[in-house]
Amino acid sequence: MPRIQGLQDLEALRQRLLGSSAKQKQTLVLCCGTGCQASGCGKVLTAFRREIERRGMADQLSIRVTGCHGFCEQGPLAVLEPSGIFYCHLKPEDVPEIVAETVRSGRVVERLLYVDPASGERIQREAAIPFYRRQERILLDQNRRISPTSLDDYLAAGGYTALASVLGERSPEEVIEEIRASGLRGRGGGGFPTGRKWAACRAAPGEPKYVICNADEGDPGAYMDRSLLEGNPFAVIEGMTIGAYAIGARKGYIYVRNEYPLALAHAEKAVRCSEQAGLLGSGILGTDLDFSIRIARGAGAFVAGESTALMAAIEGRVSEPRPKDVHTVEDGLWNRPTNLNNVETWANVPHIINRGAAWFASKGSEHSKGTKIFALTGRVQNTGLVEVPMGTTLRQIVYDIGGGANNGSAVKAVQTGGPSGGCLPVERFDLPVDFETLAEAGSMVGSGGMVVMDERTCMVDVARYFLEFLQDESCGKCVPCRVGIGRMLEIVTAICQGKGEPKHLDLLEELAETVAETSLCALGKTAPNPVISTLRYFRDEYEAHIREKRCPAGVCRALITYRIDPERCTGCGACLKACPHGAVSGEKKELHAIDAETCTRCGICAEVCRFEAVVLE
Amino acid sequence: MSTRIVEELLAERRCTAGDLIEVLQDLQEAEGYISEGSMAEISERLEIPLIEVSRVAHFYEAFSLEPQGRHLITVCMGTACHVRGAPRMLDEVSGQLGIEPGETTEDGLFTMVRVNCLGACALGPVVVVDGVYHDHMSPGKLRKLIQSIRREDQRAAGKHTDA
Amino acid sequence: MLKYITLTLDGAAVRVPEGTTVLDAALEYGVCIPHLCHVPGLTPIGACRLCIVELVENGRGRVTTSCTLAARDGMIILTNTEKIQKLRRNVAELLVAEAPNSKAIQDIAARCGVTEVRYPFHHESCVLCGRCVRVCSEMWQADALGFLGRGRERHVGFPFGTKPDFCKNCNTCIDICPMTITPCAGPMNVGEEYLCGRCASQLSMAENVSDSCVYCELGKGFGCIRQEALP
Repeated sequence: MPRIQGLQDLEALRQRLLGSSAKQKQTLVLCCGTGCQASGCGKVLTAFRREIERRGMADQLSIRVTGCHGFCEQGPLAVLEPSGIFYCHLKPEDVPEIVAETVRSGRVVERLLYVDPASGERIQREAAIPFYRRQERILLDQNRRISPTSLDDYLAAGGYTALASVLGERSPEEVIEEIRASGLRGRGGGGFPTGRKWAACRAAPGEPKYVICNADEGDPGAYMDRSLLEGNPFAVIEGMTIGAYAIGARKGYIYVRNEYPLALAHAEKAVRCSEQAGLLGSGILGTDLDFSIRIARGAGAFVAGESTALMAAIEGRVSEPRPKDVHTVEDGLWNRPTNLNNVETWANVPHIINRGAAWFASKGSEHSKGTKIFALTGRVQNTGLVEVPMGTTLRQIVYDIGGGANNGSAVKAVQTGGPSGGCLPVERFDLPVDFETLAEAGSMVGSGGMVVMDERTCMVDVARYFLEFLQDESCGKCVPCRVGIGRMLEIVTAICQGKGEPKHLDLLEELAETVAETSLCALGKTAPNPVISTLRYFRDEYEAHIREKRCPAGVCRALITYRIDPERCTGCGACLKACPHGAVSGEKKELHAIDAETCTRCGICAEVCRFEAVVLE
Repeated sequence: MSTRIVEELLAERRCTAGDLIEVLQDLQEAEGYISEGSMAEISERLEIPLIEVSRVAHFYEAFSLEPQGRHLITVCMGTACHVRGAPRMLDEVSGQLGIEPGETTEDGLFTMVRVNCLGACALGPVVVVDGVYHDHMSPGKLRKLIQSIRREDQRAAGKHTDA
Repeated sequence: MLKYITLTLDGAAVRVPEGTTVLDAALEYGVCIPHLCHVPGLTPIGACRLCIVELVENGRGRVTTSCTLAARDGMIILTNTEKIQKLRRNVAELLVAEAPNSKAIQDIAARCGVTEVRYPFHHESCVLCGRCVRVCSEMWQADALGFLGRGRERHVGFPFGTKPDFCKNCNTCIDICPMTITPCAGPMNVGEEYLCGRCASQLSMAENVSDSCVYCELGKGFGCIRQEALP
């Protein structure tokens, strides 16, 4: 890619790319995000390449390898353009048939079509799939139109139009005003007005200034940022460049979580590509804007997602937060003014510049504008990434788009906002999802993770799970977080083991208040949320554990036992083989038994028994 | 041995204190762990107090202070994987191999670690073995996988001794 | 020339050089905000959370540590509201439940109003206040020991487990440690721990602040000797 000399050069290149792609050719769009890689898209891709070569069809069918489409459970998946036919759960063996039937003759292969769980219908076209149709995929849509590391694709799809218009026509102050007027708020969890942050950073004294993209995405169950960075790194770079121009920053960092190797690789490649094309570096697009980006790789610490901790990590130190009495926009990376924003926040910037603040502000609710990507996972039919306007209700997300519970049981709750958030019961699903509403209800939007839970999930165990997570990830500096979370975990664990007492609940609430008020950083301050929200909405489950020593969901290992039903056991020995602790004994074709002493209640035996002979009590 | 690798790593980059984490990451990839000797070397070359180097090596999950086994099993314990039964993977490994997260088997064959979210949440439970992602794992599948790695390893060892 | 600023501490106007922390300003003026990890002259880290105060902004009080808060002109600080007393007492309770066998920690807890400990005692020998780490690094520039590990695993240690040869053997780390200051010799058998509140420890603020005591409200709350001595 030769260096793009200026704005006119950029436009000319774009026109050339658009012209060349308008050939009479079909394109097979294959998702190769992390999820589909896990389900084997690599082999499917190889199969397609071989088949095309074997048949000499290179001039009729091209393959576009894209990033994550956000419908991971259906993977490996592919879409044929221009017909829009959508195939899922692909295996390498399916490829010859697809090429022969669909590509060459336009005939649909029924068995590979997506089946809508609600209607039972097979749906042919991607655009007709309810999961997609009911979303408003402003950010995610681009993922399927481009190959993540192809600058050509990004330009052909309209990339860098925003930066060009900014450099050509607007002052930094005008850009900041546009972002402010749009109402964009931080998408990483804080929800801080982005325009205000940019303005404060621009006004702060000190040189050089930095912009940072927080791609640490530590919330377990959230993978929106992975999908955006893997699938469309140039959009993030463009957003950061616009931000750098507005703020007056010359250097930027993208801090990527160690556990996202593909996002790291794509971000690095995109940065190098941009440098070669003159879209990063000195004299961008022939103007006097100098801006360069460096990729910083995380080393495995959830707390590194906190802005001051992240900056410490970039500086080569342990990611321990510092008090935020002075904000990072004034005193951040190497004590210089630093503007840190989340991946999704940066990705929104080019859209706002291109279509205007009023367009963005026309979506969403009164104080939460635009769309938000949620990672809908757990016990729901359609797991995947859901992009909807802020203000969409939980019910719409979980049922209309998510398809409701899977495996027959009823939805009980949804956990939003990761370890800093809370659990909301099904009775509150008419709540619109926006920053203020969820916070008032005791949870938070957070980064966008949304885990659906059903009757088989114990809410006390959920609280325990998050406390354990936070205790592990706490940096350990301050007493309320390090010790306080530990003590909360002690109490909740005791409750899960049937050793809880009624006074524990009051102590838990008082301790939660102390931890929330006195912790140094947001990790500690929000740590009590899972406990407090589950106490608020699911107190009955806590009471059952304490007063009746019973776990209603059948999860807490100390309160359940597994035994083998003599009426159903066939003596097949599957449980004996499967038990990792050697707790099952029995002769072939004879009744087997579980030794209660050795048994750890892991439940593996119940999972493998084909005769439902292992009973949970 | 460590000294030579550290030399090579540092030769490729600016050696400032801010590069510490990157250097340690490269070292972890190259040697599989961070040895005391390497830490001392890095402390001198990057002019960072030894206690700081040690501190960073202890703080982050990515760094191992002990040599790891030949095969790394990473079990995802994120929320989505958790509600789909990820804890059972730990039971399976501890039952099969007798190790807890962070430990290595005595024969040096396997190390198991837990990780707090790989971002493949729709496909949980996810287990990564030697960099390969496995989706929708179950204890049974994991057992088979461990057994097949063991067989592969024995076969390779057999070939080696034959030759 | 030093630039002075004025802040309001519990209603009283207090004038200090710019850059002074709120905690230093308070101690200077005789208001004994409890603290543990603070050591005069060393970088504050805000780890123990005992020195919390309410910073009043836009009519609302925000809880923050006074040791890390640089005093600014016009700042309004409340050191001893009911909310702060309760939070401080709970933090002190957490501390003493970790290390009941230290006179200094017992003293702090008693002064902060802890009368019962609602958690099972852990008998830790270190409360991770970081005094030793900072004094070694900042006063002696030896960097012989430091914090290692994260979360519950966090501990103070030498780089490779044994005392390095560049340790200056000054013993300041031992002198400054709240745990080694005369451990309680009382009947603290496991299961028989209690808080008597009768020890006078070297960490007691009332001893450090000699002639500037203002017999503040705080002192009444945490049983300062001087308050008790008042007629």
